[in-house]
Amino acid sequence: MAAKTISAPIEVYRYDPSRDRAPRYDRFTLEVEPHTPVLTALLSIRNQQDPSLTLRYSCRSAICGSCAMQINSKSRLACQTPIGPEIERHGRLVVEPMRNQAVLRDLVVDQSSFWQNYRKIEPYLKLDPRQPMPEGTPNPMTPAEVDRFHETPRCIACAACYSACPAVESDPAFPGPMALAKLYRFVVDPRDRATQDRLVRIQTEGLWLCLRCHLCTEACPKDVQPSERIRDLKELAIAAQGGTERGSRHAIGFKENIRERGLLQEMKLVRQTDGLAGLAGQLGQGLRIWRKKPETTKRPPAIEDLAQVETLYRELDDPTEGHR
Amino acid sequence: MKIAYYPGCVAQESGRELDMATRWVAKALGIELVSFPSFSCCGSGFVDEANLTLNVAINARNLAIAERAGLDLLTICSTCQGMLTLANRKLDEPSVRARVDPALAKIGVSYRGSVKVKHLLEVLTHDIGLDAIRAKVRRPLRGMKVGAFYGCHLLRPSAELASESGEEPHAFEDLLAAIGADPVMYRGRVMCCGFPILFVKPETANRIAGRQIADAKDHGAHAMATPCPLCHISLDSFQNKAEAAVGRELAMPVFHLPQLVGLALGASPEELGLPRHLVPVDPALAAIGRPASSVPSR
Repeated sequence: MAAKTISAPIEVYRYDPSRDRAPRYDRFTLEVEPHTPVLTALLSIRNQQDPSLTLRYSCRSAICGSCAMQINSKSRLACQTPIGPEIERHGRLVVEPMRNQAVLRDLVVDQSSFWQNYRKIEPYLKLDPRQPMPEGTPNPMTPAEVDRFHETPRCIACAACYSACPAVESDPAFPGPMALAKLYRFVVDPRDRATQDRLVRIQTEGLWLCLRCHLCTEACPKDVQPSERIRDLKELAIAAQGGTERGSRHAIGFKENIRERGLLQEMKLVRQTDGLAGLAGQLGQGLRIWRKKPETTKRPPAIEDLAQVETLYRELDDPTEGHR
Repeated sequence: MKIAYYPGCVAQESGRELDMATRWVAKALGIELVSFPSFSCCGSGFVDEANLTLNVAINARNLAIAERAGLDLLTICSTCQGMLTLANRKLDEPSVRARVDPALAKIGVSYRGSVKVKHLLEVLTHDIGLDAIRAKVRRPLRGMKVGAFYGCHLLRPSAELASESGEEPHAFEDLLAAIGADPVMYRGRVMCCGFPILFVKPETANRIAGRQIADAKDHGAHAMATPCPLCHISLDSFQNKAEAAVGRELAMPVFHLPQLVGLALGASPEELGLPRHLVPVDPALAAIGRPASSVPSR
């Protein structure tokens, strides 16, 4: 039985950088059933109303990862997003290309930076060259070992996380959520022999620029939870190397603040993260804030029952131990 | 209502104006705040990067303090809210319990998992209710266009936090409308403030903050408001740096959530600690025809 159709207004981003001075939005109206995916509607527009509409797609089944775009400002797969709920929630349906990548034409973006960042983490098993495996030898993992990275193989490299990420938007040094989630997958793979090297390298190649905003985890259509995997990577990096970077020093310093007082010690933490030289560089800003908020430089009194916190540290803060 | 008050570190240190405003508003609305001097820091989204299990245990101890008193727990910081809620969720995992419980036993603490962690925004919109707040408004903020800025950890990961919606929240805007302000919708309202890397790579953090402030400004906001003192540091205390990073003047007053509620309920700027802000709030007060605060802001 066919569902009741709705008359859906769809605003589609149109831009051909070789011809157009600026992007525009074309408005189409379609009679569709509410559960119709946005991709189906776009293909229908292309087939019946405007053959010049340009988009990427392939499988139509949320497997190939080709049709990621912005739907009502959120990065999603067009094949997996039904029209009805979007119109219900927003009163409109606006379809735009992914963010953080240059538009080639209409809904198609240049994905080269996304793929470059992926290649940079060397996303393949590195085995020990001195002990090459004979051809055809299996190299099995236990179910518990596989379980450590059961989320990441679900990734279909659609780049929805890359499009949603404010660190990618603001700093080209950040490799993006997908590359880091994939790196995690190789770091915890028991067959990989480059784990330590991978952890050392990534510390200076953007790991500590993740904001933990979780926008990637919201955007991911496959529940890879990249932000959680990046947190896991950070914990492994600290366990491997300690506080070699500002990011790791900040996390370790924060942990020490709580051990000593139970609370954050604002100035002390800045010094631990930045070092004295860094602190000197922030002097002007520090003074500006201090004039309004003199408590910034005061050490807070220790919490009551601090000894309890110290005991938790003794019991659980063994830096040599694994995390999951 | 009576609730365990978890102010978090910043509201006891450089963000003291947030604590002042919270106490003023709680009193005006009949919320009894019970303080516990043994509460520790929540870990702030940093300690778990160094040791997740330890961070969960620290927060299990905090939650157990409220549980022993038979109270739910009030936070006034998006990050505290996120970290304490995350601990509650993690403690549902048997493997985490197996490591945390024995450590808690060493300090004579056990936590059953009964405490609800509620941010002030939720307490105001759900427990007190918008009708009750509307009834107490003495000086509606009519004419002030305000861009709500939620703070990531109040919203996401939405599956973990069971928050109203990681993508399309509206509780803050509903509250702003209830106190007479005109909420401004803009993309940046659910984005990141940059704070987590403010001390890791300041120029990037400042650029991120600048983008969100500029977005609010371009949508006509006279002011922004945040339920998170860490966002406040990034958006207010470092706004001069954000201006430099995005290459434009912003001059955007940024309120803590309870400061705006307090203004509408009749508190003075001084009672709410407004003169402590780095960016003067006077232009926003002028938009609602209120005199500038008596203490000059710069």
